[in-house]
Amino acid sequence: MAALGATAFALLALSRGESISAAWILCAGVASYAIAYRFYARFLALKVFALDDRRATPAERLNNDRDFVPTNKWVLYGHHFSAIAGAGPLIGPMLASQFGFLPGTLWLIAGVVAGGAVQDFTILVLSMRRDGKSLGQMAKEEVNSVAGVAAMLAILAIMIILLAVLALVVVNALRSSPWGLFIIASTIPIALLMGWWMRSVRPGHVLEASAIGMVLLLGALVAGQWVSRDPTWSRWFTWSGTDLSFAMIVYGFFASVLPVWLLLAPRGYLSTFLKIGTVLVLAGAILVVLPQTRMPAISQFVDGTGPVFAGKVFPFAFITIACGAISGFHALIASGTTPKMVMRESESRMIGYGGMLMESFVGLMAVIAAATLEPGVYFAMNVPSGVLGTTGDSAARVIAQWGFTLHPGQMEALARQMGEATLLSRTGGAPSLAVGMAAILGGVVKGSGLALWYHFAIMFEALFILTTVDAGTRVGRFMLQELGAHLWKPFGRTSWYPSIVLSSALIVAGWGYFLYQGVVDPLGGINSLWPLFGIANQLLAAVALCVGTTVLIKMEKQRYAWTTLVPLAWLAAVTLTAGWQKVFAADPRLGFLSHARVVARGTATASSARLIFNDRLDAALALVFMAVVLVVIAASAREWWLVLSRRKAPTVNEAAFVPSAYAAGD
Amino acid sequence: MAAGASGIEGGRAAAQARERPVRRSLGGLLAVVRQIVGAPDYGRYLVHHAACHPGTAPLSAREHYLEFVSRRFGGGATRCC
Repeated sequence: MAALGATAFALLALSRGESISAAWILCAGVASYAIAYRFYARFLALKVFALDDRRATPAERLNNDRDFVPTNKWVLYGHHFSAIAGAGPLIGPMLASQFGFLPGTLWLIAGVVAGGAVQDFTILVLSMRRDGKSLGQMAKEEVNSVAGVAAMLAILAIMIILLAVLALVVVNALRSSPWGLFIIASTIPIALLMGWWMRSVRPGHVLEASAIGMVLLLGALVAGQWVSRDPTWSRWFTWSGTDLSFAMIVYGFFASVLPVWLLLAPRGYLSTFLKIGTVLVLAGAILVVLPQTRMPAISQFVDGTGPVFAGKVFPFAFITIACGAISGFHALIASGTTPKMVMRESESRMIGYGGMLMESFVGLMAVIAAATLEPGVYFAMNVPSGVLGTTGDSAARVIAQWGFTLHPGQMEALARQMGEATLLSRTGGAPSLAVGMAAILGGVVKGSGLALWYHFAIMFEALFILTTVDAGTRVGRFMLQELGAHLWKPFGRTSWYPSIVLSSALIVAGWGYFLYQGVVDPLGGINSLWPLFGIANQLLAAVALCVGTTVLIKMEKQRYAWTTLVPLAWLAAVTLTAGWQKVFAADPRLGFLSHARVVARGTATASSARLIFNDRLDAALALVFMAVVLVVIAASAREWWLVLSRRKAPTVNEAAFVPSAYAAGD
Repeated sequence: MAAGASGIEGGRAAAQARERPVRRSLGGLLAVVRQIVGAPDYGRYLVHHAACHPGTAPLSAREHYLEFVSRRFGGGATRCC
């Protein structure tokens, strides 16, 4: 296994300017995962956490057949994976491919093995030993209340930015695409029908309703082609970016206000089935097709001149790819539903560490989908029209200056093949991922329509994202109600309608504002919002690792504190450097403040005041994120010093030991 | 004749015996799928209820479903990025 991994890495490293088989990317990944799981995860389980199957887990002690349910480890693995993996590990690697496929591949592998999987595993174990407490509660109880408040703020901030950027990805994918919009619009009546079925017709028959929903969804996928060809219907479903952003905002509000059985639950089930199915199909297709790479291993844009987003490979490759390498958001799942379902302590290794390895594998599939695109096509699709111009010819001229070729008429032909009006400047990563996926999936079933696969991929990404928008808006609403209860008690009543409507409206307005500004931004919005999202996500990971380190020190395992300290130090370096550059860099493409100055110097137009305000707002947000990281690290470091210098007793708040009734290895 | 009848009967019983593990494994498979996607399992709830709360009336299928989804989707992060 080690030899295979070493060979794969050597091939990746030595291939300069020549095409290699994507199989080597997978080989390098899988070999590294296997070794890390066998040795490092085992070391964490046995030496660091001293997992003990004789200790009953909360699922066993508190079994209520609702949220606390002892669950078979393979089943829980699938459940946990489908909760953590969404569109993030697909979009980030696609955007980061402007640096070439090698930086993304290496970071996905190294980041997950030493960082992301360690974070998920640590938080899962900590929460499991504390009756499934949330990250915020643990930050408050194990570190101090400053860290608790900071964690809460970090979660709320990341939620707003995450929802805005994901909604922007969907808007960019559906803009002027009647086929795509028709499918996604049909998911709403399909979800309502499923909701009614599961509540009233055949209560609780989720699988049956999902099967019906899936058939209808595939019907909508096929019917979308007719819609796109019919002049009247296609006009109905051709929407501008601004109209789509308002529709998303209205949708998000209703998803948060309506009862969960009506819209949220059926859509959640539909997207879970689609997610697991597509990931398996895509992995199989890559193994069957074994596509060749066309993108360079390392491009000239590592120097920071990249047109997809600004900034050098350090720190921005590590900010752009958060999900798949290390994602702070996972700490919410690992301290949410999953710890209440683990049957035996030792199984948390496979679920926490192993689940994250699987997400990294999904990230590698996105790297492969990107790497098999022609560089000219990749840049034509992912660079905003402010840089490329609006015609195939203008785009070809700009791309030729970067040393890549785009033949005359190539983008038009590709758009026709994919059943779209245009594929120029379809930023956000989803459309180019769909082109890459269509090429791979279309390669398995010879002669099957590429347009159908393209829209299947768009449907799959948009459905994931909308599920996250539904769930995220609701989580944000609950957090806001909890915070609001400190000001005025009744606001905290989560089932009181005025409070539900007001808090939902506030959350939707929060992400809706950033979404709308991103849509009207001439540079495409992704350029400024995606790095902010990456910083926020890594910030949450830093909070989680601070909590993990604190608990390890209090468990008197300071010898092993490096397991969480090393990734924490790396994340602090990455987020603080990236945050600093986004705010203060002299290059107006990179720094928010210098961009505001450039706009201020130009002729004043209606939009320039808005651009300046948004630059300053983004800068302020980045500064807040950096301040939160520093506060949490300082609060934790103080706690470490108190415990290590014996000024404070090393006590942990674990639930008491109760012997388990499950025989080990049963 | 009787031997023939019992032969048919015996054949049927054997077929049923062969079918039962198949049906059981299909039911088991569906139960696994339900758990992976986080769907409620009313049958398992009834077993749990009879074992842990004997003498009280269990929830109806609809009440159980509504309570399940409101707990599962009603709060906390269930989906990631």
